[in-house]
Amino acid sequence: MSKQKRSAEDFAEEVRAHLQLEADELRSEGLSPEEASRRAHVEFGSVRAANERFYLRSRIQWLDSILRDLRYGLRSLFHSPGFAITAVLTLALGIGANTAVFSVMNAVLLRSLPVADPTRLVYLHPSHAPHGTGTINSRETLSYAIYETLRDQHPGFANVIAYVPLAINKVAVRYEAQPEEAEGDMVSGTFFSGLGVKLPRGRGFTEQEEKDHAPVAVISYNYWTRRFARNPEVLGTTFYVNGIAFTIVGISGEGFEGLEAGRSTDFWIPLQNRPELNAWGNPLDEGKTYAANPTWWCLRLIGRLAPGVNKQQAASALNPLFQRAAYIGLGSPVAGEKPPTLNLEEAKGFPGFSEEYGRPLRMLMAMVGFVLLIALTNVVMLLTARNAARQREFSMRLALGAGRRDLLRQLLAESLLLVATGGVLAWVFAKTATRALASWAQIESSLAPDRTVMAFALGILVLSALIFGLAPLRIALAAGPALSLKTSAATSNADAGRSRGARIMVAFQMTLCVVLLVGAGLLIRTLRNLENTPLGLRVDGLVVFGVNPHVTSIPQGKAFYRELISKLRALPGVESVTVMEERIGSWSSDNSDMTVEGRLPDVPNGSSRTVRSNVAGPDFFTTLGIPVLAGRDFADSDTETSPHVGIINEEFAKRFFPNRNPLGRTIGTDDARFQMTVVGVVKDHKYRSIDEEPIPMAWYEYAQIPMAGRMDVELRVHGDPLAILPSARKALQQIDPNLPLIKPMLQREQYNLTISSQTLFARLAGCFGLLAVVLVATGLYGTLAYRVNRRTAEIGVRMAMGAGRSQVVWMILRDSLVLTAIGVIAGIPLAFAIGRALASSLYGVEPLDALTYTLAILGVTIVAFVASAAPASRAASVDPLKALRTE
Amino acid sequence: MPTQENNDDRIALLQGTLDLLILKTLLLGPCHGQGVARSIQRQSEEVLFVDHGSLYLALQRLEDRNLIQAKWGVSENNRKARFYSLTAKGRSELLDKTNQWNRLTRAMGLILEPQGLKPQNEEG
Repeated sequence: MSKQKRSAEDFAEEVRAHLQLEADELRSEGLSPEEASRRAHVEFGSVRAANERFYLRSRIQWLDSILRDLRYGLRSLFHSPGFAITAVLTLALGIGANTAVFSVMNAVLLRSLPVADPTRLVYLHPSHAPHGTGTINSRETLSYAIYETLRDQHPGFANVIAYVPLAINKVAVRYEAQPEEAEGDMVSGTFFSGLGVKLPRGRGFTEQEEKDHAPVAVISYNYWTRRFARNPEVLGTTFYVNGIAFTIVGISGEGFEGLEAGRSTDFWIPLQNRPELNAWGNPLDEGKTYAANPTWWCLRLIGRLAPGVNKQQAASALNPLFQRAAYIGLGSPVAGEKPPTLNLEEAKGFPGFSEEYGRPLRMLMAMVGFVLLIALTNVVMLLTARNAARQREFSMRLALGAGRRDLLRQLLAESLLLVATGGVLAWVFAKTATRALASWAQIESSLAPDRTVMAFALGILVLSALIFGLAPLRIALAAGPALSLKTSAATSNADAGRSRGARIMVAFQMTLCVVLLVGAGLLIRTLRNLENTPLGLRVDGLVVFGVNPHVTSIPQGKAFYRELISKLRALPGVESVTVMEERIGSWSSDNSDMTVEGRLPDVPNGSSRTVRSNVAGPDFFTTLGIPVLAGRDFADSDTETSPHVGIINEEFAKRFFPNRNPLGRTIGTDDARFQMTVVGVVKDHKYRSIDEEPIPMAWYEYAQIPMAGRMDVELRVHGDPLAILPSARKALQQIDPNLPLIKPMLQREQYNLTISSQTLFARLAGCFGLLAVVLVATGLYGTLAYRVNRRTAEIGVRMAMGAGRSQVVWMILRDSLVLTAIGVIAGIPLAFAIGRALASSLYGVEPLDALTYTLAILGVTIVAFVASAAPASRAASVDPLKALRTE
Repeated sequence: MPTQENNDDRIALLQGTLDLLILKTLLLGPCHGQGVARSIQRQSEEVLFVDHGSLYLALQRLEDRNLIQAKWGVSENNRKARFYSLTAKGRSELLDKTNQWNRLTRAMGLILEPQGLKPQNEEG
């Protein structure tokens, strides 16, 4: 019945044939061949016009039929709004959630640096930093001496570039009169030219400017937009960083936000060498800036491979030079020390990001992918059910002369409408969800969807349109015109094949649901465990803030803190006050080896000698509520002139003083230049983060070591800890009116920040689990409701034959319980695999946690029950007489 | 939709009437487009003029409506040509439309009797 659309070529062929036939005929009437051909053309009129009319006609027909199909589809969707809304929402949630997670993954893991030829860039990452060095991150940062050597010789490299932040967070800047904070990096002179970052306005730095520590700055496009409203006049104006004047010489292009993972750098200046602008905003170490201090490995290095050189060649060319440079200013290697090596890592994305977010994000992507599978099967099931119920409509239309092609086209138009509407909603949802995700994950870099994300979302949409187009195909083909003549629903129920498909899909959904619930359960239990982990200190009632005094000498610094402590102690409501160099629960820690009784302690082969240390003020352990097991806390009587004292934790005592009393013994820095007597042993507690294992720790007394600068103040107060902040601010500003409280917050909140990624991970997994449950429930309900509907006659017959209502209910329930059981059995091994993949993200819960599995299985069973209850009760209320009469 | 162009003193055909004439011509047996045109002209004693371009579009229209079917073949003088023939649906359409036409012309004739038969009318 259906035939191939006629081509314009075929029509033109027919016209040519006509002209020949006509000419033949005219010739046979006695005209000359030329005259005959001319007359035939004249009689025909314009050949081209005829061809055009044919072409136009088929075009209009095509457009017409598409519009008709869409109109018809829209009308039929309006007739079943429940179906349409469910399908569209399901699609929007499934696709939207996937797009959101993918945008974050794309920004964090997949997107390459916005630089020229990023595949030729590598990060220079050290391993086995020599004895006696301190690092920001022992696998990422290097000293200035190393940088200088590699910059000048760079075998295998076109250039080697260094960059380092001016502060851990933000640095004080001033433009005109307004003081504020911004994120800034000090960088090599070759930073912009070497990375291949174009500056559409102004210029980058030169190597000479790096050598001169020139006072010039480049600001980022984002900062220019945010702070300067894209005023081009800022070029050439002055910009103060920590009080030092810089001239703005360039504005980076849109999209370049620097190399700091997850951050958006506001400005760059050439590497400086002055105390106000030390790397990471640190105070000088024994009067030396980062550039003069070979023991402080604090710079990140990135390099561009020389043309024609691969990574291995570059590494072997660079390493001998590096191994010499690593010991500049450090003396010779300690016996038995592993030689330091440089590893070259592809700089496709941001360093440190993959470790922190890579695994969780990949797992989330897998989970949200499962949600999408559930959503897609749901819509397919709904579509199948709906179209099967419309089979008589289809048969009727076939009988009335519609082609199968017409039917299929109309079904496709309906799918297209669903997918398009769902897609638009999904995009809106995804944009909101991406923003929420970014703020939860504390990612500041731009997550605006780029071409990859759009391609991803479009890909899913096209895929779903195809699936939804093909799913009803079988139905459309199965519906013969003869079917409309069949009157009994009991007979049409014999199409076992189709219902088998639906049953497989239900079982499959149950499988995915079990997996998602197990995953979510494990992560939520991890979060609960982390939240309930004893910290080893009384965290309630503690509030912490940072202070960064403007001091120029160590005695001045000591005096500042002495005065601050006594002022704060005097505040009403304050129970006790202490200070510390590193804020506890903030991820940061100072790790080094320490000498015990004058020498580095012997450790069993392979175990670590590393000690974590902090500098603390009087009443430190009393204030924090950490039990002192032996000896005493620091006190006001410990001063610069009194004997040097230190305090250690249980783990230190156990590891380095086995079976000895540590009190009264001496410990010291790794070079043994600073020695102190152990006066106390305290209980192990969480220091850096909630999920850490105990590690040997030692505390120096702040008054006794030569340091001054930024410290954190801890207050234990009665009542609401945050309520003390205004009076604390006033006390601080009595000493120096210019000083703000830096990042004031509850100590509890500070600890919770260390599990923010686990929190995010668990919450999202929970959301996905919930989404899966809702989707599976709607899917199952929809399928069952439709099947009960179709089996009304059969149920009527059964009841007429004496089946009780409970038997009918059981018949329906048994069906979905069997499917659930199959799904669960298939899901458990898959959940094992997921659990194992999650193992490294779990805390205090086994990947095979029995409780989680039980709850997940119970959850799925409850979903199956609830979703089947309504259709089952409808089946039970079938009136046998009425059911049989309608046939 | 195709429109008729009048470039002759012969009588141009109105839409719909052409369809009917084509169906009628094909009742005699399969024929190609040029043959249909000639046949209509000849049978109307050269009074009716068939615009060739419109004829082929009309044939296409009828084919789309499944009133006629077409296939390529060879003409009596060995030329390649597309041959049209009536379908069952086409036959019943022809019957219906002929009846309609007869009723119409009869009515017109009753009114226009003195002037003789020269009906021109619109028909759906």
